[in-house]
Amino acid sequence: MGISKAAAIVGAAESIEIGYPEDPKTAIQLHMESIKAVSDQTGIPISDIDGVFSAGMSSEIAEHLGIHPRYIDTTQVGGCSFEMHVHHALAAIHAGIIDIALVTHGQNGWSQRRLKGGGGFRPGGNSPGMQMTSAYGLSGAPSNYSHAMTAHNHRFGTTPEDFAHIAVVTREWATLNPRAVMHSKETHEFGGPITIEDVQNARMISWPLTLLHCCLVTDHGGSVIVARPEIARSLKTNPVWIAGAGECMSHQNMLEMGDFTATSAHKSSQIAYEMAGMGPADMELALLYDSFTITAGITAEMVGLAPRGEGYKLWKDGHAAPGGRLPINTNGGGLSFNHSGMYGMQLLIEAYRQLSGTAEDGINGIAGKQTNARTCIVNGTGGSLSTTGTLILTSD
Amino acid sequence: MAYNKPIPTPTPLTQPFWDGTREGKLMLPRCTNCNRVHWYPRHLCPFCHSDKIEWIEGSGEGRLHTFAVQHRAFGGWAEEAPFVTAYIDLNEGDRMLTVLRGVDPTKPESIKIGCKVKVEFEEANDELSIPFFRVVEEGA
Repeated sequence: MGISKAAAIVGAAESIEIGYPEDPKTAIQLHMESIKAVSDQTGIPISDIDGVFSAGMSSEIAEHLGIHPRYIDTTQVGGCSFEMHVHHALAAIHAGIIDIALVTHGQNGWSQRRLKGGGGFRPGGNSPGMQMTSAYGLSGAPSNYSHAMTAHNHRFGTTPEDFAHIAVVTREWATLNPRAVMHSKETHEFGGPITIEDVQNARMISWPLTLLHCCLVTDHGGSVIVARPEIARSLKTNPVWIAGAGECMSHQNMLEMGDFTATSAHKSSQIAYEMAGMGPADMELALLYDSFTITAGITAEMVGLAPRGEGYKLWKDGHAAPGGRLPINTNGGGLSFNHSGMYGMQLLIEAYRQLSGTAEDGINGIAGKQTNARTCIVNGTGGSLSTTGTLILTSD
Repeated sequence: MAYNKPIPTPTPLTQPFWDGTREGKLMLPRCTNCNRVHWYPRHLCPFCHSDKIEWIEGSGEGRLHTFAVQHRAFGGWAEEAPFVTAYIDLNEGDRMLTVLRGVDPTKPESIKIGCKVKVEFEEANDELSIPFFRVVEEGA
């Protein structure tokens, strides 16, 4: 079936008050009133919504609703954003990824003059979740992720030293990548190989995370092109096929992270494996977002590459290292290659480099191809272990 | 000394909670449809999606779920580093973030997940106080 008429708008409703409400409203309240109304109107329970589309606030909206959508679109390009959301929702439904899409709007052009914040132009603003967390001195990602390490250590009897192996092995990969920030003493004062002791004795940032459990903070630009098969076959480059794709979110604010030792990568990878008709045992390479050692360790468990509580062993036992049975983060990772704040593009570029067979030609200036992998799982993690996107990629 | 750390700005949804802090009460939102307490405050219950939500006075008691020690902080918090941030499982259900008191940040190994904690309030300004939790009994 073609995409024409592949989906329909089945209901439309507004917030209880519109115009000039007597009591000022926040954007999130306007969203919630209209969502409740359209759910009542259609008889579709809010819990059946599996895709959320809004201008900038989709993660906050889904969390407020307590739902874990597997399609999140927060395109914010001004007033026409919502027509685009409908277009994107049609495509997602046509593709069979979701069944029920919520396209939602809430903006307090009037009330914001009387409220400090809560306007809805950007997520987080003065949201109730932010109000209940902003007073407690957390500063940036390390201060959040450390709580997950503590929880993992407590639940599984693991130690920060176990996770330090992730930093050491990832650095080993970086020494093979001339573009890695931590490649060697030539590229950085503290570059070159490191030991478990180096990791554990580094400056404490947010216990139990020392500096070397944390990623770099660098600049990076990157792009990839996706094309239909006929075009892909006609180019001089080798195609890397998107065999599977999945996404999910468990929370936005860490307050709502039910299990501090688990992420939605469990679900996003399941979706992706299913689409690809493959499983964890079929993966010959893994690129796992390593904003922190704990991120990569937990993700290895979530995507099924290791049993629960034992993700770190892939690194500790050498499987993830050069020469190991399952190379992980062959570019040197966010820990030692490059991390600009959002590391997902670096994952894609390394996946293409390794799978396309063009790495030895010096793509990105890197002479050496690190693996002969023909299959790869890529998993990105966003927010505070909040959102995940998984790709299963294959070469010819 | 005046309170020198970030102070939240209440919105209509959260006002009853912040009003409670001024009187030393930990007010919690509870859904009248499914009777479950949720945190943070919502317009719709995150469990059953009812919009009939009331405020109850919580016990202020709970247990330590997980924690970290912040060695790097900004503004007023920088002067206090290292300090312990913690997630608290409330007796009424759901979870709060806090800064944990009554513990030694230089000895994180001595802090026990599962220990009992109780709320206390520090006046931030005339409008509201900030809830913190203190370890009252080692557990787990």
